[in-house]
Parts: sequence; structure tokens; C-alpha cells
Amino acid sequence: MAVRREKAERLADEELMPLVGRKDPEAFEVLYDRHGGVAYSLAYRVVGDRAAAEEVTQEAFISVWRSGARFDATRGSVRSWLLSVVRNRAIDFLRSKAGKAPKLDFDDDSALEQRPAAERTEEEALRRETAVEVRGALGKLPGEQSKVIELAYFGGFSHSEIAEILQLPMGTVKGRMRLGLEKIRGELAEGLA
Amino acid sequence: MNGSDHNRWSEDLAAYMLGALEPGETAEFERHLADCERCQAELRWFDPAVQSLPEAVERQEPPPQLREALMAEVRADVRPAPAKARRWRSRPAMAFAVAVLLIAVAGGYEIGAGDSGNNGDNTVLSTREHGISVKMVREGEGGTLHLANLDQLPSDKVLEAWVRREGTVEAVPALLVPDRKGQAETTIADMSGVDTVMVTEEPQGGSEEPTSPAIVTMSVPQ
Repeated sequence: MAVRREKAERLADEELMPLVGRKDPEAFEVLYDRHGGVAYSLAYRVVGDRAAAEEVTQEAFISVWRSGARFDATRGSVRSWLLSVVRNRAIDFLRSKAGKAPKLDFDDDSALEQRPAAERTEEEALRRETAVEVRGALGKLPGEQSKVIELAYFGGFSHSEIAEILQLPMGTVKGRMRLGLEKIRGELAEGLA
Repeated sequence: MNGSDHNRWSEDLAAYMLGALEPGETAEFERHLADCERCQAELRWFDPAVQSLPEAVERQEPPPQLREALMAEVRADVRPAPAKARRWRSRPAMAFAVAVLLIAVAGGYEIGAGDSGNNGDNTVLSTREHGISVKMVREGEGGTLHLANLDQLPSDKVLEAWVRREGTVEAVPALLVPDRKGQAETTIADMSGVDTVMVTEEPQGGSEEPTSPAIVTMSVPQ
């Protein structure tokens, strides 16, 4: 039975997923309205092209619609799972485009800025606070650490590919990834304190 | 496992979490991770940092057509499902709805007398009511209701279609919202036994039962 939109809006993401698994369009629509913006933004960040980001986001959400039952609540939030689906699709898209380099904005500070938008819910406001903290943490990272993290996460490069690109030993690349993540995690922990 | 074993894997942990290990390395790391409580604890500690990365990207406004295309595909997926989800029989509110529907039919709003024809395998009923063009295309056991010349609705209103089958009024699952051209359509998965189709204006999200007089009422020949 299709859950009506108003009822679906009152449900948490984790409660929506079983309904999505049972092919409830209203539940799915609420899920898209909550996370479609960040999903599209992530896709655009990875593929660097609006039409491609649209294609990637649509494919990712359709795969969620058709495999909603595969979500495992013990392994993280719906949003994280959804964004990992989007990222994987976006990286696949990049890899399918032979010779197309991913968009990398190491020196572009605007890439880490966020346009103000209406904060519809307390949860969204909290996410935006987190985003500010992460942008701050990324901004504080030494360039050599943010570079390897961006190449891996947004560029989809393996540590050996990054080592080749940056002409560094693989151990150095892994070490910088770890140091960078430690600092981001530390900044987040301070923000919560 | 001794400390040096752990240190070896610990070096790979961040790369694993960023998706930067090679496929073979990933599988090997995951085998180790399954039995290593220290790596599991580190992974849990690092997890918020990795999960926060997509939140930090510059926000882009998704194009409206993305949502429209997505929901069109989603709704197309559920079309084959029989529209028997919501039924009410002998309930006071429904009595109002049925009464509204019957009054509309008796009062000359009936559309069944409009044009009808056969378009290949599809039976088509069409007419106009209150300036609204209405077309019902029968497709196998189901049908699609097309509306045109609709006024734009306030943002807190939608159109909802209903069918009457053996004296019971049922809601059609997909709600209708006129597009820029004043057109809207919805699919009725199961038309068997349906003698009347009507459309009402309802609050955003739709209603469990009709709450306003029908703007469109169409009799369906059996």
C-alpha cells in the first residue's frame, strides 16, 4: 500500500527504506527530496559536468529504488549508503570515459564553499554545521594531505595511481591519507566537544 | 596477531576507507578486518571523517527535470500493480464521496456520453467538463487518464483520481499535478469492473477519501 506523502515525511530514513523496498513511490520521493541535493552535488563534484551529474544521480537513485532492500542499517546511515552509491556510480562514469581526467580543484577555494540555503530541519542544520567543520578541517590540512584525499575520494584513483601521478612512494601516499583523515576526525571531535 | 602485523594493515586502513586500495588488496584487507578488533575499532573511529567528505562539497541545485524524470521512471515501475490498495465500503465519509459522485453524474456532469472510439487495441473515451479536456485510454486491463486545460493549483493542493467499482470507491495511487501546459495524467492499473472515474482537488499528499466535489466525472461503459 502506498504511504501518503505526509505520512512518509514524518518517517526517518531508516523507516522509509523498507517502504522503498516494497516499491512505495511516496517514500522514495521523500528520500530523494531529503538527499537529492547533496547527491547531485557530490556527483557534480566528481564528474565536473552538469549533464553527467544528472545522469549519474538518476542512475544511482534508480538503483536504490530497485535494490532498496539491500540497505543494511547495521552498516551506517541511509544517507551515507546513498552517497556511497552515488560516488561509486560517478567514479564508474569517470572510468568509462577513457582519457577523461576527473575534475580536481586543489587550488580552488570556492570548491569548498557552500551556498546558503534554507535550513528545513534541525537535522539539515546539523549537517550544514558538520559541512562547515569539514571544510574548515580540509582547509587546515597541508596541501599534500588534502591532495591525496581528494584524488582518492573524488577522483577515484587508487593509491598506486596517486603515487604515480605525484611521483611519490606508495607508503608515503598511504601515510598522507591516514594523517589527513586523522586531522579531519580530530577537528570533527573538537566540534562535537 | 602481534603489533607489527597490525601496523602493516593499519597503514592500509585509510586507503581502504577512501576506496583507494586495488581490488585484490581490498579483498585481502577485508579478510583481515573480519578478525581484527583493533582495525575494526580504528575503522569506526575514522568513519565519520570519511562520511563527512561528501557533505563538504559545494552545493549545486539539482535541475527540476532530474526529479521529474526520476519520479516518472519510478511511477512507471509500479504501474502494473493492481490499484486495489485502498478501499472503503459503507463508511460515512465515503457515503459523501459516493453521493457527490452520483449527484455529479445525475446532474449532467457525466462524461460517458462524450466521444468514444477505438484506437487500434485501445479504447478511447474523451470529452470536456468545466473546460477540462478528459481522455481515458484503455490499455489491456488498465488505462491512462489524461487531463488537459487544467488550471495551475496552489502549492498545497493536488488532484487525486478515484474509481468506483461495484459500489466501492478506491483512490488511484499516483496523484496528479498539472504541468506548465496544464496537463496531467495518471495510470489506473486495473479497470476491471470500474464504472466511474472521477477527479477531485485534495490537500498536498492526497486524501484517504474524497473531500471535495469532483471536477471531472467520467462514466465508463462496461
